[in-house]
Amino acid sequence: MQPVGPATWNWPAPSWRNESRPALGPVIGSARKRGLLCAWALSCAGLPGNAMALHLSTRASGLGPEQVGAAEALYADVTARLPPRWRDALGEVIVEWRRDMRGEVVGRSRGTRQHGRLVLDLRLLDPSASLAGQPADALARRTLVHELAHLYDRSAQGGLSRDPRLLDLAGWQRRPWRWVGRGTNAMRDRSPDLYELTRPAEFVAVNLEDFVLDPQYACRRPQLAGYFAARFGLPDPALACRSGLPLLDAGEGGRLSVMQLDPERVAGIDYLFAEGNDTPMSHWGHAMLRLVICAPGRPRGPDCRLDLAWHRVISFRAFVDDVQVSSWRGLTGRYPSRLYVLPLDRVVDDYTRTELRGLRSLPLRLDHGEITGLLLRAAQLQWSYDGRYFFLSNNCAVETWKLLHDGVPRLAALPLGGITPTGLLRRLTRTGVADASVLDDPRQARKLGYVFDAASAHYQAMFDVVRGTLAVPQHTVVQWLDLPPERRARWIGQADIKASAALLLLEEAAQRRAELQARSALKRRWLSGSRKELPPALRALFDEEGLAGRPAELAGGGYGLPQADEVTRIEAALDVRNATFGDAAEASWRRQLEALLPEAERARLHGIDANLDAIGQRLRHLHEAAGGPPLVMPADQPAKATIGPSP
Amino acid sequence: MFRRLALLACLSLPLPVLAASFAGTTAGGLSASSGSTSAAAKVVRAARDDAAAYVASDGRIRGARLEAALRSLRESGDAARRASDMELARAILAQ
Repeated sequence: MQPVGPATWNWPAPSWRNESRPALGPVIGSARKRGLLCAWALSCAGLPGNAMALHLSTRASGLGPEQVGAAEALYADVTARLPPRWRDALGEVIVEWRRDMRGEVVGRSRGTRQHGRLVLDLRLLDPSASLAGQPADALARRTLVHELAHLYDRSAQGGLSRDPRLLDLAGWQRRPWRWVGRGTNAMRDRSPDLYELTRPAEFVAVNLEDFVLDPQYACRRPQLAGYFAARFGLPDPALACRSGLPLLDAGEGGRLSVMQLDPERVAGIDYLFAEGNDTPMSHWGHAMLRLVICAPGRPRGPDCRLDLAWHRVISFRAFVDDVQVSSWRGLTGRYPSRLYVLPLDRVVDDYTRTELRGLRSLPLRLDHGEITGLLLRAAQLQWSYDGRYFFLSNNCAVETWKLLHDGVPRLAALPLGGITPTGLLRRLTRTGVADASVLDDPRQARKLGYVFDAASAHYQAMFDVVRGTLAVPQHTVVQWLDLPPERRARWIGQADIKASAALLLLEEAAQRRAELQARSALKRRWLSGSRKELPPALRALFDEEGLAGRPAELAGGGYGLPQADEVTRIEAALDVRNATFGDAAEASWRRQLEALLPEAERARLHGIDANLDAIGQRLRHLHEAAGGPPLVMPADQPAKATIGPSP
Repeated sequence: MFRRLALLACLSLPLPVLAASFAGTTAGGLSASSGSTSAAAKVVRAARDDAAAYVASDGRIRGARLEAALRSLRESGDAARRASDMELARAILAQ
């Protein structure tokens, strides 16, 4: 991970800032009259915008000359910062300054474009004052932008808070059933101001404050910045963000790091489907997305499909911080729903080796802009989303569908919503979004990574190889795997290279069975106890998993995507944790967990370890004896500008 | 009730945490001697099971991780470019 420079703000030549400002001065009669006429006529939508460009004026209310001057300077400053479309949509706006605002409110707006009226707190005009922890002049600017945003939003040209696309981006997500409408906004983490979540109109006003006033807004909320810019007819300011998208990557051995993903390195996105199995919890499979990321130095293209070590998987999961999953808590939304970014290698291992479930990976037909949109959305979700997991209405299939829906506007129009991973797979294929033709030739599909077989798919074939070479008395795979490890060990010395390879895979199968038994033993031990009684080793592992799904907890201040200085702080915090959880510490964790096991389980695991070791030695011995050359491990390519995950 | 439970579809078990801890040896246990942590070394290590299935099945079972490792080896070594797939798969197994 290389540190990135501070995100720079390169708003492309804001021509509208250099335009001549509208004349400021006393209320101009004609404009005022038109405004009033409009109010009488109830509808002003047909009036040409430019004739009515924003004109702020103070309603005479006993302000001293200094205050009048400060107000005029504020109007000029804010008016010049607004995008022209916004300015042009508003007409005469009268500002009333008052001393008797209630509570924490410092501004209010009334009316619509031609007869807008703002009421602002007079203290905002006192340059030496400090309100709500902010200098008065900064707060005055924010407040005025906020209230003008409300006026714009209510105008015919505005209407942002009623735009379904804005609601998608803001986090009032669609439910999988159209007629149920939208859920509440769960973008609670790293919000600039939680007030934005109260309702869409406030979301628009709060975000337009930062869009206009905070140079970092485009890099912190790139998707929204792009939306606002498009609505105002401006170039997308987020294009100027130099660094990649920060994502917390749960790498090997539980090692966490912030990767800066450059969308230019993502060649495609697949729907990654883990097949169901016989257990009720996994019957309908699991829905994920696979990011086909190119290795450093490889041009973006189909060749990147085999850069498996760089691919990452986006997986929504309920975070269960206990040894026992409770169906009731799952049905009633007591578990958080979290977005995890995991290495593909780890996901393939977890499903094909540990859970014995096959994976299918279907490319989605997305253009590069759509891929970028999806990645922006994923990053926003990882740092800000704090949703709840509901088995029936907000599970992994629904979350994955919402990510597709909110990240790629074209997909929002397609009938993809559903509540099962198999259903989503079917709809993606039927609508032509997913390309299922890659599965037509099973051998090619396996070779190119469109299919990853469950390890169990080959157990029988491997056992047949063993029986073909060695005179083992067992007749079935299960009989073989159920033997005590030392009874399998005696055959290792007689195996040829083919049989040794088969023995290796079977021994790994035996290891998996032993691990499952160890897990059940541990689970039984704490099933009835509360989480507090878990040994520290287990509790720490759960906490670690929790953190991987909610990186906002690490980030400290700031809103939206963390910027360079925040990423530096996060990495420092991760270094400390990785010393406890990283590769180096893994053996120690394993010993601690093993110590909790019954003696018989522990002995079995150790026996299998010894067998795996012996098979490895046997394979090396046979390879050398056959005159096979040792493998020369290629060195890394010279480091280029690598923005992306490490392998 | 079973049908409703069936929708637990994608509830992540907390136990994969445990599994991952126990499973530290599935891929790397035998190749701990390899001190190299280069990207290619990781690609090759991840291909071990695929290489085993390939060797044991006389080349009939050919997974993507093996494919990735073969490409990675050949991209950076003349010796590997001259070797057959089976020779490389055996060499990966002997790591």
